[in-house]
Amino acid sequence: MKNYDRISSLVWLIFALYISIESLQLPLGSWRDPGPGFLPLGSGIVLGILSCTCYLRAQRRDSKENQKHWYSGGRWKNLILVLAVLLAYTAFLEVLGFLLATFLLLLFLFRGIEPQRWVVSIGGSALTSFITYALFELWLKTQLPKGFIGF
Amino acid sequence: MAKNSITQGVYRVLVVDLFSNLLLAFSVIFQPHNLFFCFIGVLIGTLIGVLPGLGPVATISLLLPSTFHITPVSAVIMLAGIYFGAMYGGSTTSILVNIPGEAASMVTCLDGYQMARQGKAGPALGIAAFGSFIAGTLAVIIIMLVAPPLATFALQFGPPEYFTLMFLGLTVLTYLASGSMLKALMMACVGIFLGTIGTDTISGLERFTYRSYTLMDGLGLVPVIMGLFGISEVLLNIEQSMKREIYKTRLSHLWPTLQDWKDSILAIIRGTFIGFFLGVLPGGGAVIASFGAYALEKRISAHPEKFGSGVIEGVAAPEAANNAASQGAFIPLLTLGIPANVVMAILLGALLIHGIKPGPLLMKNHPDLFWGVIGSMYIGNVMLLILNLPLIGIWVKILKIPYPILFPLILLFCLIGSYSLNNNVVEVFLMILFGIVGYLMKKFEYEGAPLILAFVLSPLFENALRQSLIMSHGSFSIFLTRPISLGFFLVALFILVSPLLSGLKKKPPKG
Repeated sequence: MKNYDRISSLVWLIFALYISIESLQLPLGSWRDPGPGFLPLGSGIVLGILSCTCYLRAQRRDSKENQKHWYSGGRWKNLILVLAVLLAYTAFLEVLGFLLATFLLLLFLFRGIEPQRWVVSIGGSALTSFITYALFELWLKTQLPKGFIGF
Repeated sequence: MAKNSITQGVYRVLVVDLFSNLLLAFSVIFQPHNLFFCFIGVLIGTLIGVLPGLGPVATISLLLPSTFHITPVSAVIMLAGIYFGAMYGGSTTSILVNIPGEAASMVTCLDGYQMARQGKAGPALGIAAFGSFIAGTLAVIIIMLVAPPLATFALQFGPPEYFTLMFLGLTVLTYLASGSMLKALMMACVGIFLGTIGTDTISGLERFTYRSYTLMDGLGLVPVIMGLFGISEVLLNIEQSMKREIYKTRLSHLWPTLQDWKDSILAIIRGTFIGFFLGVLPGGGAVIASFGAYALEKRISAHPEKFGSGVIEGVAAPEAANNAASQGAFIPLLTLGIPANVVMAILLGALLIHGIKPGPLLMKNHPDLFWGVIGSMYIGNVMLLILNLPLIGIWVKILKIPYPILFPLILLFCLIGSYSLNNNVVEVFLMILFGIVGYLMKKFEYEGAPLILAFVLSPLFENALRQSLIMSHGSFSIFLTRPISLGFFLVALFILVSPLLSGLKKKPPKG
C-alpha cells in the first residue's frame, strides 16, 4: 500500500501547487486585511507540506513493508461501463426527457452489469421510472427535464 | 434573603423553564404535519439504515431539495428523523447479516451477529432497540438541561472564538479518523480549498470559477456529498460481486429476559453518556461513539475474553452510544452554529437555505424550531421503537433485496438529487466527478469525512479568520489573548502534537 501512498501524495502535491499558483493571481491582501487569495493560498501551502511529509514517510516505510496491490482482479469493465452510462445519461437527460432517459439507464444497469431476467429488467425499469417521476415531479414538485416528447 | 433568591433562580431555571420549554417542544411536534414529517423521516431513516450502500449522509442530501416546499421546522424534523432512524435500522443488518447498514453500527456486528448465530437474534434486536430508546430519552433530557446555558455562554463568542473552535473541531476530526491522521489533515486542507471556490463574500471577486455560472455560487454541497459518499460506494461495490447471507433464524423473544436486562442496563447507561459526550464534541460523532462505548465495556468487563462471542453488553452499549451521539451532535449546531459531523453540516446547509442562521440566538429567535427539533427526537424515538420491534419482519424482507437490483436505484436517486437542487446538469457532472474522486480516495485510503466537514466550515472559517485579523489589525495574538479562544487553541494544539510525542496514535478497532 505504501507504494500507492507515494503515488497519491504526489498527485496531491501537484494539486497543492496548482492551488497555490492560481491563488497568487488573486489579491492576497495584508495581515491587517486579508484578501480573497489568502485562505486558498494557505490551504495550498499546508497541503503541499503535508503531501511531502506523506511521500517521505511512505518512502521510508517502503523498503520494510510488503507491497500490496490495491487492484486485486476486480471487475474493471463494470466500473468503466457504469461511469460511461452515467455520463451518457447526464449528457442526454435534457434531450430525451426524464422518463425515457431514466428507463434506458435502468434497463442498461439491470441488464448490463449482473444480468437480470428481461421481464424483471423491463418491468422494473418502467415501474421505477414512473414511480420516481410521480414522486419527484408530481408530489414533490421538482422540475425534471421534459425532453422532446414532453415528459 | 440572597439565599432565597438563589434558590428561586435555580427553581426557575430547573423547573419553570424546563417545563415551559417541554410544553413548547410538544406543542410543536404534536402539530399533525410535524408528526407526519417526523414519521416519514424515521421511516426513511430505518429503511436506509437497513439497506447497505445508502447511508444517512447521502439520503439527507438527496431529500434536501424536496424540503424547500415545507416549513423549516418540518424540514429539520424530517431530516433529523432520517439520521437517528438510520442508527436503529443499521443495527438490524449488523445483527442479522454481519454487514453494518451504516458505519455507526459496525461494532454491533461483533457480538450481534454471533448472538444471531446462537439463535439469540430476537434478544439482540430487542436490546438494540430498547438500548437506543433509553439512550435517546436520556439524551433528550441532557440536551434540555445543557443547551440553554451553553447558548448563553456562546453569546460571548466573537470571531476569534469561532475561528479557534472550528480549528479545534477539524483537529478532533482528523485525530479520530480511523486511518492516518496525516491523510485526514490533507483532506481537511482540500476541503478548506474547495469551500473557497465561488464568489468571495467580502471582496466580490470570483475564485477558481473559470467563468462557470455553476461555480459562481460556490461548489454545491449536495453534488460533492452524493459523489463522495453515494456514487463512490456503488463503484466500489460493483467491482466485486456482493454476496450476502442472512442468518436464517426464528425471530422470537424480542423482549429481552430479566437476565439480559441485568447484564445490559448499566452498559446502556454508560454507552449513553460516552456516546453523548463524543457526539457533542466537534469532529466526534456516532461512529466513534459506538467504538468508544464498546471498548469501554470490554475494558471494565469481568469477562473481556467473551466479547466478540455474542455477549449482550456488546450490542447494548454501542447501540445506545450511537443513538445518544446522534442526538448530542445537535447541541453544537443549534447553540453554536457549528456542525459536529457531516450530517450536521448538511443540516446547517439546509437551515441556511431556509434563511435561518443557527447559533446562540437560534433559541431566542426561533424557539419553535429549536424546541420542536428536540421534541421530535423524543417522539421519533417512540415511533422508532414501534417501527422496529413489531415490524422487524418487514425490514428483514427488505434486507433480502439483492444488490444488482439495489445499486441502479441508488445511482438513480443520486442523479435525481444532484439535478433537482438547481435543475442544473453541470451539477450532475460534478457529482460524477466527485464520485470518481471518492472512489480513488477509498482505494488509496483517504477519508471523506474531514474533507466534507472542512468544506462546509470553510466559508465560516474564512470569515472568522479575516474578521479576527481586521479586529486585531493583523496580529495573530488575538487568538491567544482572549481566554476562551486560548483554551480552544491549546486543546487543538495538544491534539495535533500528541501523536508526535507518543509516536503512536490510538486507532479504533476495525470491524
